[in-house]
Amino acid sequence: MGEYKEMVEMKNVNVRYSSGVDALVDVNLRINDGEFVFIVGENGAGKSTLMKLMMREIVPSSGRVFVNGYNLSRLKGNKIAKFRRSIGVVFQEFRLIQDYTVYENVSFVLRIADQSGKYIRQRVPYVLNLVELNTKAKSRTRELSGGEQQRVAIARALANDPGLLIVDEPTGNLDPRHSLELVGLLKEINRCGTTVIMITHEHELVQYFGGRIINFDKGSITFDRVIGGSDEDE
Amino acid sequence: MRTSNVSYLVKKGITSVWKNFVMSFASFCILLVSLLQVSVTVLFMLNVNIIMNNIENTNEITIYVKDGATQEQKDHIQDVLEKDENLTDIAYKSSEEALEEFKATLDDVAVLFDYLPKNPMPETFLVRVKDLTKISYSVAAISSIDGVDQVKAPYEFAAALVNIRDTFSIIIIAMLVTLIAVSIVVVSNTIRTSVFARREEISIMKYVGATNGFIKLPFFVEGMFIGVLAGCASFGLAWFIYNSVFSLFSAENFSLWQMFGFFNLIPFNKIMWVVLAANCAAGALLGAAGTVISTGKYLKV
Repeated sequence: MGEYKEMVEMKNVNVRYSSGVDALVDVNLRINDGEFVFIVGENGAGKSTLMKLMMREIVPSSGRVFVNGYNLSRLKGNKIAKFRRSIGVVFQEFRLIQDYTVYENVSFVLRIADQSGKYIRQRVPYVLNLVELNTKAKSRTRELSGGEQQRVAIARALANDPGLLIVDEPTGNLDPRHSLELVGLLKEINRCGTTVIMITHEHELVQYFGGRIINFDKGSITFDRVIGGSDEDE
Repeated sequence: MRTSNVSYLVKKGITSVWKNFVMSFASFCILLVSLLQVSVTVLFMLNVNIIMNNIENTNEITIYVKDGATQEQKDHIQDVLEKDENLTDIAYKSSEEALEEFKATLDDVAVLFDYLPKNPMPETFLVRVKDLTKISYSVAAISSIDGVDQVKAPYEFAAALVNIRDTFSIIIIAMLVTLIAVSIVVVSNTIRTSVFARREEISIMKYVGATNGFIKLPFFVEGMFIGVLAGCASFGLAWFIYNSVFSLFSAENFSLWQMFGFFNLIPFNKIMWVVLAANCAAGALLGAAGTVISTGKYLKV
C-alpha cells in the first residue's frame, strides 16, 4: 500500500475468456489519484471486462493490474474482501438489497467494514445527505424511483470513504435531466478528493462535461485524451 | 468483529426466519420429521435394550456339587465363582433346601420323601451370567473346578437371545445411519433452495467487500434457529408418542408384556432433558451443516 501514486495501473493486460473471445488486448493504462475519468466505448468494447478486472471479479490472462495499491493479480481469499472495501462501486443495475431500507442498504457496508454503531449512526445520515436522500432513510428500496435508487447506490459506495469510485453506466436508467444531475454529483464527489472512473457509452454526456476520456474499441484503447466540456462555457 | 456487529448479524439471521417464512417452514418441517424419526428410533432402541436385559437376567446356570464334596472344596467353588467377572447373583443351595423346595411343588405326595433313607438332592450353586455371549467360557471354567459334578446352562436360550440382539442392533444402526444421511441431504437441499432465493443478496454483499464469514453467519444462525425450533417440536411430539406407548404397556391387562420386562420401560421424565438437549443439538447441527454445505456455491464471486 502506498507504493503506487497511481490509483489504477494496468500493464500489458490481456483478458481472454474460456469461449476464446479476447475481451481486452494489450491494455496499458494509468489513472492518477484524484482524477475524473470517463471510460467510453460501444457495447462489447471491453468496458465491462475492465470493470470486472478493477473489482477483482476476474484476473487477467496476462499482464498486471494494480488498483488502490493492491496487486490484483496476486490477491487471494479475504484480501479480496478487504480490497473491495477500499473502493466504492456503483453498478448499472444498482444492486441494492430490495428488502432493506435506504438506511440499511448504506449501513450494512459499514457493518461489513466492522465500524462501530456510533460511527454508523453518524456516517449514514452524512452520506445520505450528500445524495439528498436523508428524508427517505426509512423507505424500502423497492419503493424508490430509478434515480433515487441510483443515488442510494452512490451513497452506499461512498459510505466507507473510498479513495476510488467506479461507476458503471450510471445514467443508463435515467432521463437526461437526472443524468446531468447525477454526473454533476459525481464531479462534486471528485472535487472532494475521490478518484472517479465513470464507465459509459453516452458520448453526448461525456462531451458536455469534458475531462479525461479513454475510449475502448474491440478490447483496446483507441484514444486517451482530455477534452474541454461545454458545461465549462455555461 | 465487534460484538455489536456480531449481534446485528445474529439478529439478521433470526429475522430472516420470518422474512423467508415459506422456506423456513419447509426446512422446519423436514428437520422435524427427520429428528422425530431419529428420536423415536433411539427411544425404541433404548427400551428394547432394557427389555433384552430383563430377558437376559432370567438366565440361570445351575452348578451341581459332587456328592461327598468337602467344605473346603465347596468354599473353593464359591471363591472361584465370585472371582469370575461374568457371573453375578451367586447363591448356594444346600441339599436340604433343595429337597424342601422340591417337596413344596409336589403337594400330597411330598410326604413320600420322608421315607427315603438319604436326601437325593445335590447341593447346588445358582449363578447368573452378565454377558450371554461368554456363557460357554464361563461354563467351561466352572466345570473344571475341583468338586463340581455337573453344570447346566441355557445354551440355546442364550444363543437365541444373542442372535436377536445382534440382528436388532444391526437393523437399528442401519436405520439411524440412513435416517441421518437422508436428513442431511434433504435439509441441505431445502436450505440450498432458500439460499438460492437470496443469491442476489449474497453476491451484492461479496461485491461490496463482505467476507465469507460475514455472509455465512446470518444463514448459519438462521439454520441453527430453525434446527432448534424443530428440535423442540420433535421433543414435544416424541414425548406425546412415548407416553402414549408407555401408558399402553403399563396397563395391568398387559401381563404377557410385563412378563418380558415391559414394566421396566424408561419413564420419559427420567430422560426428558437428555432427549430435549439431544434434539435441539442435533437440530442445530443439522441446520448449521445444511447451511454451510448450501452457501459455499454462492460465495465464489
